[in-house]
Amino acid sequence: MIVRLAAVVVAALAFAGPAAAACAHPRTSLTFLEGQIMCPTCHTTLDQSDSAVALRIEAQIRKRIAQCWTADQIEAELVGNFGAGVLAAPPHKGFDLIAWWLPLGGIILGAALLAGGVWRWSRKGGDGAPPPDTGLDADTERRLDELLARLD
Amino acid sequence: MRTLKLTGQFVALAAVVGLLALLVWRLTHQSHAPKIGGPAPAFTAKRMDGGGTVALASLRGKPIVLNFWASWCDPCKSEAPALERAFQRYRKQGVVFLGIDYHDVTGDARTFLSHHGVTYTTLLDGSGAIGDRYGLSGVPETYFIDRKGRIVGDHILGPITIAKWANAFAQGVQAALHS
Repeated sequence: MIVRLAAVVVAALAFAGPAAAACAHPRTSLTFLEGQIMCPTCHTTLDQSDSAVALRIEAQIRKRIAQCWTADQIEAELVGNFGAGVLAAPPHKGFDLIAWWLPLGGIILGAALLAGGVWRWSRKGGDGAPPPDTGLDADTERRLDELLARLD
Repeated sequence: MRTLKLTGQFVALAAVVGLLALLVWRLTHQSHAPKIGGPAPAFTAKRMDGGGTVALASLRGKPIVLNFWASWCDPCKSEAPALERAFQRYRKQGVVFLGIDYHDVTGDARTFLSHHGVTYTTLLDGSGAIGDRYGLSGVPETYFIDRKGRIVGDHILGPITIAKWANAFAQGVQAALHS
């Protein structure tokens, strides 16, 4: 009986270790964060850099992932350390929103101008415009119209 | 129709003016190393030990050795003990040593300082803003600032453990002390 109890306790402890090491939320990955974080000295994302500082930042990210930090927490720590320039994409708040909305605004404006231009061009070629010159004299045109009317 | 045309022209003109302004701003804000004899670029930065901030202006009247370094920089490892020895030697003459930790993971930097026994004040420059003002091309680099806040001596572009820069370092400290 005592042997069985001891076996159960040992088994419970064996499973308790990994369970304690598991995160309460899905772990983020180095691969994901490497694309989100810039190397401050080479101005590329970490996944494209082998510089000494990039390798140190990656080591720091690995350490935080092992400690179950979320991607947001890791990014916040790196911003605190290196400034907002360490993020590959600007935050979706405050003044940085301009970086997101300006290109979209430009595309919309460009599309509107293009649409306006097309509309204007189509209007020029529509109502009130002189018929295209066929190169035929009026008499021939009239006879041609009569022939076509008979065929109808 | 005329309004649409005018709007289009205005938008195109505004875009061109905006791009030109951006170009001018970029050209005028490129970082260059400060001139020897000119004023040292001002800055205020947090201390590594968490004891508040230090403004360069607050050190006016004292000769300063300004050393940019990082824990990920290999030459900085050999330079750190030499700088600490120099600090111990020159502090009696009133020379202030300031280490600027450039683009570094703060935890690594603290380990580095502890490992190399660095005792002079170290400031954080994680964003590289101070380094940019001093036109840094890499680390380590060292500047000397005299009592009037002017850059003096040579701008040292490497570890002071190299013979060439060791002489320049000694001369730079003297220039900061006596100019």
